[in-house]
Amino acid sequence: MGITELLWRFPSAQMAWRNLGRNRIRTALASLGIVIGVISIASLGITGVAIQQQATSDLGSLTNEVTITSGEDSTTAGVTADQVDEVRNVAGNVDVVPQYSDATTISSRNGQEENVSVIALTQANVLYDVSAGESPERLQSGVLLTDSTANQLGIEIGDPIEYNGQMYRVRGLIESDQGFGGGGRGQLVVPESALSDRDNYDSVTIVTEDGDAATEIAAILRDHFNEETHNGEVDEELSITDYSDVQENINSFMNTLRLALLGIGSISLVVASVAILNVMLMSTIERRGEIGVLRAVGIRRGEVLRMILIEAAFLGAIGGLAGVLISIVIGLALFQVLAGDAVIVFEWESARYLVYGFLFAIGASVVSGLYPAWKAANDRPVEALRG
Amino acid sequence: MSVIALNDVVKRYQTGHETVEALKDVDFRAERGEMVTITGPSGSGKSTLLNMIGLLDTPTEGHIRLDGRDVTDFTEDELTEERRSEIGFVFQDFHLLPMLTATENVELPTMWDTSVDRHDRAVDLLHRVGLGDRLDHRPDQLSGGQRQRVAIARALINEPDILLADEPTGNLDQDTGRTILEELTRLKEDENIAIVSVTHDEQMVGYADRVVQLIDGEIQ
Repeated sequence: MGITELLWRFPSAQMAWRNLGRNRIRTALASLGIVIGVISIASLGITGVAIQQQATSDLGSLTNEVTITSGEDSTTAGVTADQVDEVRNVAGNVDVVPQYSDATTISSRNGQEENVSVIALTQANVLYDVSAGESPERLQSGVLLTDSTANQLGIEIGDPIEYNGQMYRVRGLIESDQGFGGGGRGQLVVPESALSDRDNYDSVTIVTEDGDAATEIAAILRDHFNEETHNGEVDEELSITDYSDVQENINSFMNTLRLALLGIGSISLVVASVAILNVMLMSTIERRGEIGVLRAVGIRRGEVLRMILIEAAFLGAIGGLAGVLISIVIGLALFQVLAGDAVIVFEWESARYLVYGFLFAIGASVVSGLYPAWKAANDRPVEALRG
Repeated sequence: MSVIALNDVVKRYQTGHETVEALKDVDFRAERGEMVTITGPSGSGKSTLLNMIGLLDTPTEGHIRLDGRDVTDFTEDELTEERRSEIGFVFQDFHLLPMLTATENVELPTMWDTSVDRHDRAVDLLHRVGLGDRLDHRPDQLSGGQRQRVAIARALINEPDILLADEPTGNLDQDTGRTILEELTRLKEDENIAIVSVTHDEQMVGYADRVVQLIDGEIQ
């Protein structure tokens, strides 16, 4: 009785609620369409978010980086230590990793050889994830090697590798499938000290939170280092590369995907609202005499209209609510599988599709109720009473 | 002053290419505390006349006065307001809403007026028509006679000046019909209202203060 008592204060709502209760099976079937519609919208929207998160975390290791090398108009070869300090100041609170690069050939005990690029740096953990061993915060002794190269040469953690006339122990194996790029060649990561006889760094890598931050920092750095000269040309002191194009492409692809998924979802809600239109039309035609009685005893047209519109809105709300609940379950499962963290579904990024689905359900139902309501309210009572 | 008066009312319908004259220069009036019964063969225009009196239909020619006010040219919304405050309806098929209890059915015409609570009057009316023990019953739990009593109580909830009854005993057996007629007679005096009914029922004619016979749209 709780809900009925509350509704008593709103006669149209009260009557609408009672009318829905008269034919529960029909009410349930009409809402079922809406349930399916909301599930399609919400779960397809959530799927889009899940796919995007998955893609960003897969590709993110590349697009969140900014690479700095010596510019065309630089007076020095490479990036100087002063420039690195300046980059640190301008870029703010992000990881700035200066590095030397080189190439070498590693050979296994049985004489097999493999060409690898050599990177000399200190903050190994910022750039490299390892599949075995460790990726130290400060690499001062020992080296990291790409795991596929290590496999090929039969090198294991703890084995010695000779580089530049010095012996190093392998401390970690780098996951070989990080991002794209790398050119398929293996990498040998050595301490900065191995190449510290060089004057300048070959490149600097900045690692930011995400692709958008990388784009932003790249722009700030370009502004700072590469001043436009009076004749309109840019004096390129440092060459600053980010992957904003790639990031943009990913974003625009994701948006297209999301829209396509939502479009598919909306179609089912449109179908559902046609079902509601049909049900409301049938039920008002069936109750034609009854509505005639209401009009005869002095119930206003607006009141009849409101009653039927609220009936449609209730159908939408019932279906919408059920749809949202089911979508939450689907979303939990989806995020558990794709991201390993089910509760992401409650974050606004994905939860908003639940809200959209619900609002869309009520909106579509009310729109579907308009014609039946208008028709019932404007039926002449004399004719409606005749049945 | 007559509570309702029709002067020279003509009603024409267009059916296909033919024009049917359902009412021809009808003069009709009813006073408070009077039961007028309209009789006549089917197709004589009885229902059309009742619809005119009940402000459900408008005349092609002529005038309708309610309590002396000319309501002929009222819009549909204005007529709705008049029906809401001045007129009560009782139908042959009772026309109760199946999902509402007896009390709720009685309250129905005033349900949208949240400013006045007619609950007490609804209960009182149900007691007066002998349904004090059926307040929370739904229509399908009531007999035909009991349903018509609920309908009568509903027609009186807005304290109308006129109660219109379209074959009120048409779906009831002789005995039940008689009790309904006695009920109406009593209420007519208690509430000082005009009751206008349309019927084929000879028994009903016996309870009328005045009988109006309609044949081919003309009062005899």
